[in-house]
Amino acid sequence: MAEINLNLINGLAAMVLLAAFILVATGRLRTMVRVFAWQSLALGLLAAAVAYSTGYWHIYVVAALTIVLKALIIPRIIDQIMDRIQVANDVEPSVRTPSSLLIAGGMAILAYYVAEPLIQSGETITAGALALSLAVVLIGLFIMISRKKAITQVIGLLVMENGLFMAALSLSYGMPLIVELGVFFDIMVAVLIMGVFVFRINRTFETLDTSFLRRLKD
Amino acid sequence: MLELLLIIPAVTALICLLLKDRRQVEWASSIGSLALLALSTYTSYEVVTSGAKDEGMLYMDGLSAFMLMLVAIVSLATSLYSIGYMGRELDEGRFEASRFRYYYALLHGFIMTMVLVCLSDNLGIMWIAIEATTLASAFLVSFYNNENSLEAAWKYVIICSVGITLALLGTILLYASSIQQVGEAGGSLEWSSLLGMADQLDPTLLRISFILVLVGYGTKVGLAPMHTWLPDAHSQAPTPISALLSGVLLNCAMYAILRYHMISSAALGPGFSGGLLVLFGIFSMAIAAAFIILSRDFKRLLAYSSIEHMGVIALGFGIGGSLGIIGSLLQMINHALTKSALFFGAGQVYARVKTRTMEEIKGLSKTMPITSALWFAAFLAIVGCPPFGIFVSELVILMAGLQAGELLAVSIYLILLAIIFAAMLLHASRMIFGEPTKVVEKREGDIAVVMMLVVLLAGVLILGLYLPQGLNDMLEGIAHLFPGGGA
Repeated sequence: MAEINLNLINGLAAMVLLAAFILVATGRLRTMVRVFAWQSLALGLLAAAVAYSTGYWHIYVVAALTIVLKALIIPRIIDQIMDRIQVANDVEPSVRTPSSLLIAGGMAILAYYVAEPLIQSGETITAGALALSLAVVLIGLFIMISRKKAITQVIGLLVMENGLFMAALSLSYGMPLIVELGVFFDIMVAVLIMGVFVFRINRTFETLDTSFLRRLKD
Repeated sequence: MLELLLIIPAVTALICLLLKDRRQVEWASSIGSLALLALSTYTSYEVVTSGAKDEGMLYMDGLSAFMLMLVAIVSLATSLYSIGYMGRELDEGRFEASRFRYYYALLHGFIMTMVLVCLSDNLGIMWIAIEATTLASAFLVSFYNNENSLEAAWKYVIICSVGITLALLGTILLYASSIQQVGEAGGSLEWSSLLGMADQLDPTLLRISFILVLVGYGTKVGLAPMHTWLPDAHSQAPTPISALLSGVLLNCAMYAILRYHMISSAALGPGFSGGLLVLFGIFSMAIAAAFIILSRDFKRLLAYSSIEHMGVIALGFGIGGSLGIIGSLLQMINHALTKSALFFGAGQVYARVKTRTMEEIKGLSKTMPITSALWFAAFLAIVGCPPFGIFVSELVILMAGLQAGELLAVSIYLILLAIIFAAMLLHASRMIFGEPTKVVEKREGDIAVVMMLVVLLAGVLILGLYLPQGLNDMLEGIAHLFPGGGA
């Protein structure tokens, strides 16, 4: 039973990483939002599997919150923002897709080397997922840097946070519940505030391309 | 008892939101800030005289008390200054009258999140509070809602959120390092207990954790090269908010780094985290020096000067020892007071000349003699002229460096201070002296603001001339909290 569960956990962690790669590869904004929702669902199921095999009930709460907030509510908010401002569906990467994938692959390898000594010292059943989660954090950062539209930057940030949650799960079975709740609250508020800014940027500059945000300099 | 410190700004924010009348909002805001300062003084006095308070999620020792006093003092100055400044902006139609109360509600919400940073015992809650400071102040930065302030606010939110995400990873690793040594039950995120079991923490995890936290919260402190949001946000925010960002927000983020620095020093010795602080401190000073020379906008000039001072503070804490820590703490107070005075003066100047481009400003000493004299005094204070306080605190940090034998760091520090001294004063004297380019009649700004500048500068002057016994005891007490700081 434990064997099956471990395979399930590692499989779901791999799916979270795979979703990060698809996010880099896709050229459509709508697809990015869908893939992000699927990634969050996989993360939520991962948390549920960890909760089942360890018996810590607070991880079930985290799993439920991840699925409700990140797989359902936040993607819906982003969808609605895109409907309201009628943004074009292209991602407009500043690094072309093939090179982007190559860089993302390089980051996955880098994450593996960084995480290796930590995995050795880890005792949790999920320590193996640490390398995958660091890779997701790095790929999220790369999405933020290499995609021009304001919405893709928000998605990149959310992907980084998904990677972080997976890291927390794999290192220490998550954080104390009160901290997790606070972090969820902050993420929610951050998405709403960024949503407001996306509206205002779109209204003021008549574009979402953040490379127009280059007026302030010395 | 400690909850009350959070409740006061929260209630003030709520009252400001509910009131409709402009005068009433201004009164509520002033009374709220005054009450916060009174209660902070009282609790800090108790902490200094009778030891740390531990109330579950909240914890207050000498260092928290010190930071809390900084927040409360600058908040009071800011909310008083806001009355005149935002009132005038409203009269001139820079924003709609309906949004006036949102300004004060956001201001006090922002103050509450900073108080929470100083008081939280749990490093996870501290993270949440620091992210909340970004979220609460984002709409303050973009308050004028024009193209430039939107750009500044977007950069501010995105860059600080990414930075702080890395800090969360660092926090998770620290938590993991405590769990791996003492088991799930003993795992803790409370820094007061982490400090107690520092020698049992996993050193590898701790090292990576400190680097991530330094880079993450360092973004918020404005340490170079993560500082890029800072000049934009400081220059585009309403001037009272610039003073609050510069005077205390940066210090709050520095406080978070210090808590990790204490844990890391206790576990690994002060060399590792201290060395990194020295490195980032010197680098920030160097970057700031370059941009201070090149600045064209006076609010950006002041923003780069904040990066420089955060570098000095990081350097002092990095060098450590009782001298380094006391020097940096003094530098925090002196910088907060002086920079508030500089921003308030800048607001008065902007109200007269309607430009922030320094080349277009000449002969202020002819058009507004008293304000510009005080503004120039504040410039002299910020670059470290005696007899102002910054001279003393920078000298103490210099002595700490010499005592610790950090000769390379100290010599770079002195060279950079000299460059910044010359560049800042050159910029300031070009604006203040000479003949006015446009004929403007002689008129001082608000007399209340002149009084505030006098009070703030008098504070810096007193700290430069002598150190009150109470403050001295408090600072020495804080230095003893740092592992190896009693020496």
